[in-house]
Amino acid sequence: MGSVLGHVLNGLSFGSVLFLLASGLTLTFGLMRTVNLAHGAFFALGGYIALDVLRRTDRYWFSLLVAIIAATVVGVLFERLALHRVLGKELPQIIITVGFAFLIADLLLAYYGGRPQSPPRPPGLDGVLRLENFAFPHFRLALIVLAVVVWLGLHLLITKTKVGAMVRASVDDEPIARSVGVKVPVIFVTVFGAGTALAAFAGVWGGAFTGLQPGSEWQILLLALVVVVVGGLGSVGGALIAALAVGLLDEFGKWLFPSFALFTLYAPVAVLLAIRPQGFFGKEELT
Amino acid sequence: MSAVTPEARNRLLLRVALLVLAIAVVAAPYFASSFQIGVLSRIAVFALFGLAFNIVFGAGGMPSLGHAAFFGLGGYIIGIGTVRLDVGIITVFVLALVLGAVLGAIVGVLTLRSHGVYVLLLTLAVAQALWGLAFQQVRWTRGDNGIAGIERGLIVPGEATLVTFYWTILALVSIFGALVWWFQRSPAGVAIVAHRESASRLAALGYRVSAYRIGAFTVSGAVAAIAGVLYATLNRFVGPENLAWTMSAEVMLFAIVGGAAFFAGPIVGAAALVTLEVWVSGFTDRWLAVLGLTYILTMLFMPQGILGLVDDRRRAWRARREGHEIAPTSANASDALTGTGGMS
Repeated sequence: MGSVLGHVLNGLSFGSVLFLLASGLTLTFGLMRTVNLAHGAFFALGGYIALDVLRRTDRYWFSLLVAIIAATVVGVLFERLALHRVLGKELPQIIITVGFAFLIADLLLAYYGGRPQSPPRPPGLDGVLRLENFAFPHFRLALIVLAVVVWLGLHLLITKTKVGAMVRASVDDEPIARSVGVKVPVIFVTVFGAGTALAAFAGVWGGAFTGLQPGSEWQILLLALVVVVVGGLGSVGGALIAALAVGLLDEFGKWLFPSFALFTLYAPVAVLLAIRPQGFFGKEELT
Repeated sequence: MSAVTPEARNRLLLRVALLVLAIAVVAAPYFASSFQIGVLSRIAVFALFGLAFNIVFGAGGMPSLGHAAFFGLGGYIIGIGTVRLDVGIITVFVLALVLGAVLGAIVGVLTLRSHGVYVLLLTLAVAQALWGLAFQQVRWTRGDNGIAGIERGLIVPGEATLVTFYWTILALVSIFGALVWWFQRSPAGVAIVAHRESASRLAALGYRVSAYRIGAFTVSGAVAAIAGVLYATLNRFVGPENLAWTMSAEVMLFAIVGGAAFFAGPIVGAAALVTLEVWVSGFTDRWLAVLGLTYILTMLFMPQGILGLVDDRRRAWRARREGHEIAPTSANASDALTGTGGMS
């Protein structure tokens, strides 16, 4: 029984990392109709910068902050300089974000090398929870708690605050939102920046979990995409449920039938998309 | 001397230029180095892959990010077929055509209810599922190590040298490229373009739109699988990277850089990008960064591709000659493709 519980918690904590990434992804999609394929690059960027600063200064929370701010600045610049010019055009946005991800990934590889490395766990969360013969790291439990907190925060922000109302207005009807004085481009860049910050944070904490190496940003991005698709593009609550489900599916797939784990992850997604393109919690698209 | 209009003269010039180019490509072994022959072979194979992809993308207006599935499938058919089993080369080609078409039809059916970015995600998921199989079904595919030792001689009739291999590739690419050309000009091919322009009007005219969508994916899948067979033969190797989604992104870039609205777009795109890669790799290891910049700059400044740019220049020139403005129509076709409007 202990091992099953361990796998469940592992799956849930990996799902939490996926949620941190997927929440930003689903926000940008809901708002800008952009499947931001550069999102994984911000994950890697955050992780590597945190590692770099940590090695120079040896101050954990400071490096975390620097990583998040740096990645967010890069993300905001990217949105203003490139992405915003093709607003409303899905395909160019996708191509541009793929290109940006290649660019960032290659520069990271050039600068930090191809050796797998991983940021340390945050101080204070090094401990291990022990219950009789069962042990589980505090850090992974903290990830699960954090995912729920982030979901709650985003949910309240979007449904209860004025900023959230402006975001929703921009999503639902951009021309009308503009006409009543919502500065839609500011909303766009803010949401994009927030998504980037979440991705960078996921890179530091999730990187401690999954490790950082060239190509890892794509693996986790594709999983986060699965989460976003299954949860329904644009739905934060859907993303949380889907992230935990995908985390569990991934964990148990690797444990129970390792030689089919990737197939059993992606094939159902294809079938789901074929039958219900908007995912489980997405809004019906008007075409 | 005024019997020849400038239009007719230009058309003649273009034909002569194309003929000279074709002769130069065929005669390349007489003046190019073996390295350059290798590069040309790669361009040819990618051009065929791009042509196959563009049936769905440029003509059909459906943004697939999963064409690596067909490409990799072809690669694994010849890899597993000739290295691990003992299947004849004719059977390999037949299998690639049939299985590529079947997989294409399946993807076509799956995407029937999807539009735009959902088509993209769905095709991506299918290709990732196959990639997962190639990666993890080690017993068949040798996993990450891939299958090495695919004989180039298999597809060459007669003695296998670098030159005869190159000519074989050229011949096969030309044959299948011509088939794609013929398909796109057939009533079915025209209906696929009509589906891109307006699916609802096509349906109102009594066409079964879904049948043409599936048809586009079927033909595209079959030809892409053949390109995959050729690519694996060229590399003497097939591995999960043939199925990776980056391959799907690359073929999309071939079409866009060349000009997705034009038949020759993917050919021009493949030639331009492979040449760029060879040139950049000559002085830096950072090819991927350059490729990324190419993605961004193409979309920002040249969304209609090279041929779109040429076409606009030509129209502007003609308009100036005739002394009035003609609205560039090629831009509209590409806009429909790269904008939200035409993606369905």
